[in-house]
Amino acid sequence: MHRILRLSFFLMGLLVAAGSHAADAQKPTLTTEDSLGPQVTQPIEFPHYRHAGLRNPNDPTNSDPNKGGMEIDCQYCHTYARRSAVAGIPPLQKCIGCHQNIESVRQKPRIVELFKYWDAKKAVPWKKVHDLPDFVRFNHERHIKRFIEQQNRPTQEACGYCHGDVKEMTVARRSKPLTMGWCASCHQKEHPVTGEGGAPIGNQAYWYKFQKPAADKSGGEIKAQGPNDCWHCHK
Amino acid sequence: MIDSSFDRRDFLKVMGWGGAAVALSGCGNTSIEDGKETVVSYVEAADYVIPGVSVYYNSTCAQCDAGCNINGRVREGRVLKLEGNAASGINRGKMCGLGQAGVQHHYNPDRVREPLLRNGDRGEAIAWDKAYALIAEKLNGVSGDEVAFLSGGVSGHLKVLLGNYLESLGSKNHFVYEAVSPAVVRAANKKAYGNEMPRFSINKAKVVLSFGADFLGSWVSPVHFSQQYAQFRKGVNGQRGVLVQVESKMTLTGANADRWLVVRPGTEGVLALGIINALGASGVALSGDAAAASQGYDKARVTSETGVSAEHLDKLVALLKERTPSLVLAGSAAEGYAHGSQNAAAINLLNQVLGNVGKTIEAPAVLPFPQMAPAKGSSLALKSLNEGLAAGKYKVLFTYGANPVFTAPGSMKFKDSMGKAAFKVAFAHYLDETALQADLVLPLDSALEDWGTQVPEYLADGAQINIQQPLMEKLHPETRGMGDVLLALIKQRQADAYKGFEDYYSYLRSALLQNKGALGGGGSDDDTFWDATLTSGIIKLAGAAGTLSASSAAGLKLPEAAAADAQFPMHLIPSVTANLRDGRHANQPWLQESPDPLTTIVWDSWVEIHPKKAAQMGIVEGDIVEVASKTGTIKAQAYLFPGIHPDAVSIPLGRGHEAMGRYAKGFGVNPFQILDAVYDQETGELAMHETRVKISKVGQRVIVVKDEGVIGGKQDGRRIALSKTTDQVKLSEEI
Ligand code: SF4
Repeated sequence: MHRILRLSFFLMGLLVAAGSHAADAQKPTLTTEDSLGPQVTQPIEFPHYRHAGLRNPNDPTNSDPNKGGMEIDCQYCHTYARRSAVAGIPPLQKCIGCHQNIESVRQKPRIVELFKYWDAKKAVPWKKVHDLPDFVRFNHERHIKRFIEQQNRPTQEACGYCHGDVKEMTVARRSKPLTMGWCASCHQKEHPVTGEGGAPIGNQAYWYKFQKPAADKSGGEIKAQGPNDCWHCHK
Repeated sequence: MIDSSFDRRDFLKVMGWGGAAVALSGCGNTSIEDGKETVVSYVEAADYVIPGVSVYYNSTCAQCDAGCNINGRVREGRVLKLEGNAASGINRGKMCGLGQAGVQHHYNPDRVREPLLRNGDRGEAIAWDKAYALIAEKLNGVSGDEVAFLSGGVSGHLKVLLGNYLESLGSKNHFVYEAVSPAVVRAANKKAYGNEMPRFSINKAKVVLSFGADFLGSWVSPVHFSQQYAQFRKGVNGQRGVLVQVESKMTLTGANADRWLVVRPGTEGVLALGIINALGASGVALSGDAAAASQGYDKARVTSETGVSAEHLDKLVALLKERTPSLVLAGSAAEGYAHGSQNAAAINLLNQVLGNVGKTIEAPAVLPFPQMAPAKGSSLALKSLNEGLAAGKYKVLFTYGANPVFTAPGSMKFKDSMGKAAFKVAFAHYLDETALQADLVLPLDSALEDWGTQVPEYLADGAQINIQQPLMEKLHPETRGMGDVLLALIKQRQADAYKGFEDYYSYLRSALLQNKGALGGGGSDDDTFWDATLTSGIIKLAGAAGTLSASSAAGLKLPEAAAADAQFPMHLIPSVTANLRDGRHANQPWLQESPDPLTTIVWDSWVEIHPKKAAQMGIVEGDIVEVASKTGTIKAQAYLFPGIHPDAVSIPLGRGHEAMGRYAKGFGVNPFQILDAVYDQETGELAMHETRVKISKVGQRVIVVKDEGVIGGKQDGRRIALSKTTDQVKLSEEI
């Protein structure tokens, strides 16, 4: 017991040290509320709003960069997300593929910078904005299958669940907490899982406790939970 | 900071109530590398390259000469894991631990990264063209006879190119050296079966009697034999195979045997002849040679010379008589003596008496391209090189794939001899002991970065050529493939003949495409054939079946047992372990870290000594003992091991490096250093087991770091891993 006491004092010391921080640390939130990550300076200030932003109806030629976007689908550049657990970053080749044909912006400082990397055949050293601890296996592909392919949700909406409203951003900034509690807040919800004709969609692993709900004869909407076994992410 | 009297359990107890509060301060932000770490994207990416999704390439394991076909998993351009290639007849999708560690050869932090030129005792980085020019300069005015090339076992196109290079220099001095090789057994096999390496079909045998052949651990083609062994254990026609291992120091195979028979070191041949004699006495027809050779080896003599009891001898003879076919193997323990050839011949004769030749010993396939067949290493090669060097015969010495300064027996004083060559070039992956003696060190690509072809000595499943291809880009820009280096060197001599080949890859490609028809690609166009070849990683050849020739064992006679040596009373058995072999991979930490299967010791050497002997000498586990031979002395921790003859001690080979990087240098001792210069009388091979030693305590004691037993296996009564003694277990086969 004596030893335990001594150890307790040691731990109490640790607590006091951490205490000031602990006092105003927030409880984990169970909502999809925003939680802005640090502002990250990127080697090139990539304008997501210009690429993914909505068109300006008053500017059909899309010539004013400050007033409208081009509504490019996220998956046009982020092609890996639908094919792999990790989304990766589009290869530089992707940027150049379009930009070598867009003379009008060729001399803009960011594009000049971009071509410098290309000419030197060097990768742009982007900084990581979204990151999970190594013991979490998030799978992009499955989420895209579920929401975009099976349920036909708009890409920006589906990606936005975790990445926020990217079409409003310049360089991306983390805007969701990406904590476990936050993930679970979605996985606990009753998701509509009805496909055409009232038949449930999705593969076995998408159903809570692996039980695929029976089709709703009346044709009404069926709801189920997202997968929430520990091993789905911690494996 | 934590007082050492807190143990883990106390800590956890306290954490139980204190932890909740502590944990509070940790919540909130789990995104640990936001904005800090760089994500490097591709500049250009092939379609099949998807981050997070692996691609697989077939290649060949280069960790030993067995030539297992492998399949490497590559993700984001990095090779992560090697597995066996399921289409391989050699290893059928499996690999051994040594092979698995191949990635640590590739990622090893101690690789040589640029050409180094000696300046005093330092190596200075120089450019490749300077290095090549220097070689040309040093070869200028040197006759071919004054150039020597020392290599490990080589095969395939590299062997051809190397031969051509030496020819262009006018040199015939290619020394192929392997420190641990079945060279004596090869010669004995050639005599007995007309073939150096016939095929041994363990899976067809009902009894395997192995004289020190560690075929499950380190002998010839262990992954292949392990699979055969599994079939053998399941049984042919429902009869489970019985393995009897005869040796003086238990190997991994010995530990798996149904019956392990300890023999007095060097008397393997006596036992074999004794069995022949007893078989003859029990009615088996003996040829004149066999009868003559085994004459006089009656039970009383054999029992007293070998130490095997009459009861065991009888059982063994009955077993061999009753169950056919059987298979008798001569391994490194039998061949390692001055009379090793006779030992092996006696053992092979036993196969003939038992009628196994043609049944479990079969003719190997014949490789249609003999020029690509492996140049087999032996220790005789090193002996003659050493004599030449000592006599000042060689001015320029090249070394590749061998580390003789580490593996030569201490009695040879190879390091001194090597110093007599005026210019020494080492083609090396690491600065090992031999590279450190060189004047110029040329850094090589790892086996996972290089191109090549390889032909294994033991053709387990018909003739085949193995393809080695890069699994990923080079890690270090200034390393070169061995083939590329040879090509550059040969261009110095014969620029015209080789000008069509930009690099070794194009040489290899055109060489294989030229023989497309013979390689089974007739009818397909070049690119299709080439892609198919690289995809499968194996070229299976329709080779003709070889033949075995009967032979006579006339004149086989074992020498009289050597008189006991009063000064050096014990035999030294330098043991070859499955992981470390001759020590060339000792710098792969997985191999150092994985416990020896028999003693469970890690990261260190040990001296195996029989408990009875240890008790006599007052030695307990962990005592530092000095092992002294005529040649030298080493000190290591004692390990009491019942699986060894009381008159022998054993020290594993492979450790005790003085160089070769952070994971090899300074761990353990090197028994090669104390080996005496005793050679097999017929073949001239080094008799590895002939060294006699004396041992003494030096008065220090250490804790042996191991998994097993009282210290490492401390379970505090928690019954985590339960054990039984052998007499509590019903043995599956009593023989
Ligand atoms: S036996 Fe040799 S070739 Fe086969 S996997 Fe092991 S080390 Fe590699």
